[in-house]
Amino acid sequence: MSKEAREGATLELKGVSRHFGSVKALDGLDITVHPGELVALLGPSGCGKTTALRIVAGLEVATSGELLVNGERYNETPANHRDMGMVFQSYSLFPNLTVSENIDYGLRVRKIDSDKRHKRVDEMLELVSLESKGQSYPHQLSGGQQQRVALARALAIQPRVLLLDEPLSALDAQVRGQIREEIRRIQLDLGITTLFVTHDQEEAMAISDRVGVMSHGRLEQIDKPIVLYNSPATSFVASFVGLANRIPAEITAKGKARVLNQKVNILDSAAPFAEGAKVNVIIRPESLELVSESDLDATRGIVALKSFLGPMTKVGIAVEGAPLIHLNVSSREVRKLEIGDKVAFKISSDEVMAESV
Amino acid sequence: MKKFPLKWPLVGSAAFFASLMFIVPLYGATVYSFKGNGGKGHSWANYQWLIHQDGFYPALFTSLKLAVLAAALNLVLMVPTMVFLNLKGKRYKSLVDFLCILPLIIPVVSLAIGAQVAMPKFLQNTQYELVFFFVIIALPYTYRALDTSLQTVALKTLVEASRSLGASWASTIIRVIVPAIRSGITGALFLTFALSIGEYTITSLLHWETFPTWTVVAGQQNILGAIAISVFSFVGAIALLSIIALLPKRNAERVEVEE
Repeated sequence: MSKEAREGATLELKGVSRHFGSVKALDGLDITVHPGELVALLGPSGCGKTTALRIVAGLEVATSGELLVNGERYNETPANHRDMGMVFQSYSLFPNLTVSENIDYGLRVRKIDSDKRHKRVDEMLELVSLESKGQSYPHQLSGGQQQRVALARALAIQPRVLLLDEPLSALDAQVRGQIREEIRRIQLDLGITTLFVTHDQEEAMAISDRVGVMSHGRLEQIDKPIVLYNSPATSFVASFVGLANRIPAEITAKGKARVLNQKVNILDSAAPFAEGAKVNVIIRPESLELVSESDLDATRGIVALKSFLGPMTKVGIAVEGAPLIHLNVSSREVRKLEIGDKVAFKISSDEVMAESV
Repeated sequence: MKKFPLKWPLVGSAAFFASLMFIVPLYGATVYSFKGNGGKGHSWANYQWLIHQDGFYPALFTSLKLAVLAAALNLVLMVPTMVFLNLKGKRYKSLVDFLCILPLIIPVVSLAIGAQVAMPKFLQNTQYELVFFFVIIALPYTYRALDTSLQTVALKTLVEASRSLGASWASTIIRVIVPAIRSGITGALFLTFALSIGEYTITSLLHWETFPTWTVVAGQQNILGAIAISVFSFVGAIALLSIIALLPKRNAERVEVEE
């Protein structure tokens, strides 16, 4: 594939809101996607991520705020003049057109001459490894193949920005993994600015340069995946990104708490907790470790759950006065552990996040 | 639940007797249309009589012309309307549904007189006013044929995909929606064409001569000729519609592919 794509564009959303009557689907969203960057918007259903994407595509109108592409205001530009390629969640190929004709559609609309179009279609088929399927109809393709054609069709027009609206959610797990790697490979190869909407955190973390976590129409945090995971800005981000235990605790001093009879340091918070305050601390499963039962500082419990996940096993420990505590332990380490066994564990993380009860 | 063992024989018998109601009269009419002079022997005489009657070709041509215009106008009006209703105007659907049923409820006489008065002046007293009447009487059927078809396609996604690729609304309708709802459009086309070419009441009330009104007058002179006219009309309509239905279909064969 030749690198014919345009230089990636800068996409900016400034205070973008979208209200449906009294419902605020999007509430003052500010995001800048830099040229060639892949940013994922991650959040639960109804958080406004798809609304944001549709506003960028021109399929939805913002109630207020500004949408800029390379500094140029796009709010009033109709969808068909925005030069943005979009891949949809559901299979969106035109059923009456062959794969080649689908890819050719946007080029034909632009009245590009026939030779260039054929060349471009062939390049796109090669890009998505579907050279032999050019004359097939969409219903003759598998779901994964259809989404690859949809991606090729969106890229054929050399868009300024690529928009992906949960393009993998209709695919089975194995195909999903393959296609997401293919999307990332192509995106890096073409250097195209991409906004990717998903509710699957693994998907977002795996291929994005930055991930924006959304809740109730607002952006909670946007950062590199590793920063989101290790230093969540809010308790929502902490609980939504990765698995987290929420364990009742008590503040013992400024920046310190007692949880499960262990002492922990609390991460800086915008509103510090008063001494004696009841809080929940948020601890990742991998921040807990099994220790010898003879360790006097450890917390004791009974194994209530054991889920084999390949190299790791998720162990659920029942502790008095707390919800089921989850740990990620090496499968080798817990080979002999059975449900009902007594175990001891400690918090290995230096600092944990806390939230009001 | 255990299946009723007599279900299929019963359904089969009902279908057989129902088809007899249709086939026997048609068979009888066809046989009689080939009776020779004085009802003896078999010949093409009645059909020869038919095509040599004054006014046969003008009446047939007028009916075909008006039916084609009505079918075309109906599609031009109804396809964008139905697309709008299914995409953005769902709240108006029940109202439009009700309006489209009105031609079945309003007596034809009231419809003919009322609509003629409301017709633009340049159309009044020209045979083309019939085109609008034909469109109106076909509305209940066209609405349902197109609506059913539109419900079977992912209309919103297809439209948005087309728009995001740079297509205008007109281009989206012509290149994407029309082919996707081809079966519904063909159905609407059939119904409008068939209703238009056989429409008698309004045409007669407004004193225009089309093939059905000519048939009534011509048939009064020759009973076997009248039967030949009926068979000719029936076979002609079936043949025309079959040609449209059998137009080469793209993407006809369905092949399931495993992931």
